[in-house]
Amino acid sequence: MKALTPKNRLAALLFGLVFLNFLVFSRADDVGSASAAPRDNRIEIKDFAFTPQTITVKSGERITWINHDEEPHTVVSVEKQFKKSPALDTDEEFSVITGAPGTYTYFCSVHPKMTGTIVVEK
Amino acid sequence: MVIRKVSIMKDHDHILHNLEQDGIDRRGFLKCMAWAGTGVLWTVSGGVLVSRTLAQIAKAGASSLAATDLSFLQISDSHIGFNKEANKDVTETFKIALDRINAMPTPPSFLIHTGDITQLSKPEEFDTFDEVLKSCRTKDVFYVPGEHDVLNDGGKLYRDRYLDKVEAKGSGWYSFEKNGVHFIGLVNVLNLQAGGLGQLGDEQLEWLEADLKGLSADKPIVVFAHIPLWTVYPNWGWGTGDSERALGHLKRFGSVTVLNGHIHQVLQKVEGNVTFHTAMSTAFPQPAPGMAASPGPMKVPAEKLRSMLGLTSVQYKQGKTALAIVDSNLS
Repeated sequence: MKALTPKNRLAALLFGLVFLNFLVFSRADDVGSASAAPRDNRIEIKDFAFTPQTITVKSGERITWINHDEEPHTVVSVEKQFKKSPALDTDEEFSVITGAPGTYTYFCSVHPKMTGTIVVEK
Repeated sequence: MVIRKVSIMKDHDHILHNLEQDGIDRRGFLKCMAWAGTGVLWTVSGGVLVSRTLAQIAKAGASSLAATDLSFLQISDSHIGFNKEANKDVTETFKIALDRINAMPTPPSFLIHTGDITQLSKPEEFDTFDEVLKSCRTKDVFYVPGEHDVLNDGGKLYRDRYLDKVEAKGSGWYSFEKNGVHFIGLVNVLNLQAGGLGQLGDEQLEWLEADLKGLSADKPIVVFAHIPLWTVYPNWGWGTGDSERALGHLKRFGSVTVLNGHIHQVLQKVEGNVTFHTAMSTAFPQPAPGMAASPGPMKVPAEKLRSMLGLTSVQYKQGKTALAIVDSNLS
């Protein structure tokens, strides 16, 4: 067996990195393929309101909020049923993957007049 | 409930319609706003608005302040970290406000900052604020938090930095005495409930009741908090849901002055012995209630911006029931 010279040690390392990257990419590719991708539903935050205010989605789908205001907003479950977002500055997004069917209400904890509803169906 | 009629002396405009019995009708309010925006100062004494121009204030100068027992200054809504079109350099306008304070013939005894020190509660934003504030000759500053100061940690960072001078309770409320005036700093930006307004909460209200208990009814009271303690415009969340309970505890006092920020414009209402007043921001203006799609930052022509930013000077003279409140802009 040939001893590892510094040169082919580098080659082995590079090969290993490429191989690892390939695994990561293929896994990401699996997740991103049409059959398994969670459908993304967008809720726009503009003029201190969530639009649409009520959204109906299937269980397992993704919901993404994007803040178009020059004011920070948050997305907080009223019944603490999903993780709360950090404060979203202008153009920042926040996503959740929906779980069990049901009706979920949420609000902006900075401007609590802003409320919205998520209806999750099977 | 006694409602005093507020007369705006400058143009001999009087309240014509006061449908909500708040002492301000729509027309009077808009005139008042236009007036505040054009750089005229106004003083309130005994529930009557009196205008004074900058020139008159300057002429009166130190002599008018000499007999004053206590003068302090309210500064609000500096929003350090905001960098959008409404004002791309809020640090600079904050500096200008401090320059104005440093230029006063008689420096105020202390400052009150009524919240929204920062835009996003970031440590570096608080750092910038603290660094710039060092240029202020008046060193004593009392704070209450705005919702922008407590975004991600329930106000921990804010409390660690700004409450070392006071004996704060709960989420950061406190009281102190200066020259016979009782000051109360309240927190109404935490644990807000879906669909609701600003909130004080049971614990704070019970503390307030106990804090006021031993005080004589002729003791002047100054209450300060970020969100208005009167319902300015509930659709935009400009009010505090349980403020009536706080005001109930304050009812027996002969002179109560309530100072708020949050709405980035001067608004005032006098109700019985209570004067409610909101200050301008040092960062950017916000629209008059209901006059825009949302209460977001209002963009105005660059040359007009400083006329819509400002600070509030408050003077107390012993023996007078009402404190004199003077707003001045940065133009």
